[in-house]
Amino acid sequence: MKSSRQRAIAEFVLDHLVWFMLAVVLIAFSLFVPNFFQIGIFANIVEQSTFVGVMAIGLAIVIIAGHMDLSVESTAALAAMVTGILFCSRGIGLGLTLTPEWLVLPVSLLIALSVGAVIGFLNGVFTIKLGMNAFIVTLASYIWVRGLVVAISGGRSAQDLSPSLRVIGIEQLLFVPLIAWIAILCYVIFSFIMGRTPFGRHVTLIGGNAVAAFRAGIKVDRLMFIAFIIAGAVAGLAGWLLAIRTSGATANLGTGMLFNAFAAVVIGGVSLKGGVGKLPGVYAGVLLLSSIHTAINLMGLPAHYTQVILGLLVLAAVLLDTLKLQIRQRFA
Amino acid sequence: MTGSALLELADIRMNFGAIEALRGVSFRVGRGEVVALLGDNGAGKSTLVKIISGGLKPSAGRMVFDGAERFFATPAEAKAQGIETVYQDLSLCTNVDVVGNFFMGREIVKKWMGLIPVLQEKEMEKVVADALRNAGTRIPSLRTNVEHLSGGQRQAIELNRFAHWGGKLVLLDEPFAALGVEQTRRGLDLIKRIAAQGIGVIIITHIMTQAFQVADRIVVIRQGQVAGDVPTRETSPDQVVGMITGEAFHGRTQEARPNGPNP
Repeated sequence: MKSSRQRAIAEFVLDHLVWFMLAVVLIAFSLFVPNFFQIGIFANIVEQSTFVGVMAIGLAIVIIAGHMDLSVESTAALAAMVTGILFCSRGIGLGLTLTPEWLVLPVSLLIALSVGAVIGFLNGVFTIKLGMNAFIVTLASYIWVRGLVVAISGGRSAQDLSPSLRVIGIEQLLFVPLIAWIAILCYVIFSFIMGRTPFGRHVTLIGGNAVAAFRAGIKVDRLMFIAFIIAGAVAGLAGWLLAIRTSGATANLGTGMLFNAFAAVVIGGVSLKGGVGKLPGVYAGVLLLSSIHTAINLMGLPAHYTQVILGLLVLAAVLLDTLKLQIRQRFA
Repeated sequence: MTGSALLELADIRMNFGAIEALRGVSFRVGRGEVVALLGDNGAGKSTLVKIISGGLKPSAGRMVFDGAERFFATPAEAKAQGIETVYQDLSLCTNVDVVGNFFMGREIVKKWMGLIPVLQEKEMEKVVADALRNAGTRIPSLRTNVEHLSGGQRQAIELNRFAHWGGKLVLLDEPFAALGVEQTRRGLDLIKRIAAQGIGVIIITHIMTQAFQVADRIVVIRQGQVAGDVPTRETSPDQVVGMITGEAFHGRTQEARPNGPNP
């Protein structure tokens, strides 16, 4: 009895490790980093988590399904650039306007999602229909999609995004801009999809044992295809938000976000082996990374340290993932 | 065996290019009958299993299952008709709990606002609890991930799942390869209980004693052909080994294969 309770506690802690880490880090920073403990800082952490956070959703879903998607960063950049070119009025922007003006919001969102979905679809075609390795396929996408961004922009940037779009980057609700709430809403929706719907259950089953899932009549290929398309579309959404936040797009927008998203996914408890991980944990991972960024800024350390710490965190997370197995075996 | 067979294979042939994996296999499985399928490595057992359980279309031959002549293009199609293969550890997703595995691909959902399907976890848990209790299988917690369960428990989940979903014919590929003595004994009991419900069982195994313990009939495949098809009661391990290796039989001749070298 006692050991089973111990085990239940150990399981709970291991399953929610990232939340404990986040709590510890926030408390530590609040105590030891001057000026950290204020509402503005926390709001800023949430705001910063928007883009990597949204991007990490798609990445996490594909990894949980047992595959890999390295293309999310470039996909977001492409969606941002397309949004920028169409709806910016300066630089390479075409300054498209619609009547009524608010129509820009849904139309641009739809375009960004579609751009992402197309990239996801292509990844799906190569990976699932042609049976190529997802790592290589999406690495190629990571390269060529970024190339496309540079090509269509000619290396120049688009500025002055349509005001009816920028409004959701400026307007705040409870100290946090609306774009950050969109990210949180995405986490709520996709956590629900992954945790409570057959789609999420099946994706998790596929990540655990695709052969068994196939034998059980689950349409593995179709679901994997959908997972890639979702990853692309969600990355498109991240790009759209990024364009709104920066009021335009540059050719190198979002560079390096992939690694942050990746780190967040791993720290958030998603196993690279597939089948294991929960989206709320991923969001906690993103918040954790943003907290560390913010603390480093506040302490006036050179930004380069962020990268060192980030790297160490990823290592620690993977190490934990490995250790978890051993800890579990001890309690099993 | 009386009445119509559950499964009847007639002259099944399978060529992979120039290689003849199966060269005219015929046998029957009755309802509630346990048939042990024996044969050396490369005899064609796996090919036969794939043909029966869907996924491989034979080059020639006929299959009658449950009164209808047909082949199954995919395992899903076969499963829908009540045929399933239980491979060693290949039919469970160990990263998901017992309930999730039991309902794999058949989850109970309720449409939320008539649109969004939502998993009904409590309802599913109750069904699993009832099914396992009725089958006399005890599993500590239905919410534990299968990775924490023993081989015997995993097998019990697989077989109970099969029986619960109205399976008619189950193929077991080396079901006890990874199990201990006590677990194997329970597994054999479980198979008998499953068969007693009118389910046909085909066991593929290398272990002669297990075949003799549980099977009603033994079918030996050798070089893509049926080398022997005998009721377990009327044969002996030595004789079956003879059929597997193709050695000449001492004593009784085989009615199923009368083409020995004639002087």
